[in-house]
Amino acid sequence: MLMASIPDWSQLQPGFADPVHDAQGVFRAVLDALARPGRLRSVGSRLAPNEEASIAARATLLALADATTSVWLQFPLPEVASALRFHTGAPLLSGESDLATAQFVLLTDPARCPALERFAFGTAESPEHSATLIVDVPMLATDHTGTGGLHLRLRGPGIATHADVTVGGLDTAFWQARAALAPRFPAGLDLLIASGDTVLGLPRTTHVEVC
Amino acid sequence: MPNTSSNTARDDGDAAPPARAARAKWLALLARATRDELDDAIALCPDAPDFVWLRAPQTGLVLVQGRVGGNGDRFNLGETTVTRCTLRQQDGVVGTGYVLGRDAERAARVARLDALMQMPRHHDVLASGTGPLATIAGRLAATVAQHDADTAASRVEFFTMVREA
Repeated sequence: MLMASIPDWSQLQPGFADPVHDAQGVFRAVLDALARPGRLRSVGSRLAPNEEASIAARATLLALADATTSVWLQFPLPEVASALRFHTGAPLLSGESDLATAQFVLLTDPARCPALERFAFGTAESPEHSATLIVDVPMLATDHTGTGGLHLRLRGPGIATHADVTVGGLDTAFWQARAALAPRFPAGLDLLIASGDTVLGLPRTTHVEVC
Repeated sequence: MPNTSSNTARDDGDAAPPARAARAKWLALLARATRDELDDAIALCPDAPDFVWLRAPQTGLVLVQGRVGGNGDRFNLGETTVTRCTLRQQDGVVGTGYVLGRDAERAARVARLDALMQMPRHHDVLASGTGPLATIAGRLAATVAQHDADTAASRVEFFTMVREA
């Protein structure tokens, strides 16, 4: 279902101060994050914090979404929704029935993430028609010294041997469900794990092992 | 002004509510006003609230569409430069300004006045019979009348052809 009604503009917040260069900077950070899984990238403090979603998640959507990319919101977030409508013009989706058509997915409560099989994977001929999941997690760190999250070991393209990260908010079942998608390659799902202003890229090629 | 469609998004028989129609009307007037006229109008609202930019003035190209005779098929007339901006006042009122050309200062003033026009207190001052909006409308009407008179003076009658309605 398309949110046809006009969002509440009184909740609208300013977007990037310098739209062109801020969007390019965020794009570069996301590109680096996906090219080097396991390394955390900062999108910079380009947006004011709010309680609905992290700076990294909102900045990524402001930089990547436009009128041709649909964004699925897990919850009706008034500030995020109005900002996306106003600054990007992206069609906003919500509800379980629209999961399969979303090109970007913003998960702000990863514990209640819908089953991964319900998102768009793309096809072998056009794997680019897959969804990119932007997951807001409460805790994100490199190496395994952090507490409050699962210790993950990443392997795959872009990683010399292995990379260790600690990610909170996502349980073992989520990572098992993600691993179960590997046989679909080249179709699959790309993840951007966001916390604060940092982002961790987990493209479909990255093998994640829960330690 | 060529008879181009400025309302393409709402072209599907969707009647605009009166408040939006009134806002479209004053925005159309403000978009044609000179910078001095806009400054005079803002000067009438001394206690205007502070504001933040939701979208700072930016210039881009807009595809202008027209219809033959005002009701024929839509065609692309060409692209034109448009400067737009949007601000939000501290009281939550959102004002937006679109002007032809690259004059960011004018677009900013239009957005400012659009927000003020949505406040009943300032609306009464700005939209009064002798207020700045009436002045702008009067000047525009005079310009159009002068242009029509100049054009009419050059009219040539072709007696061998039937004039179209």
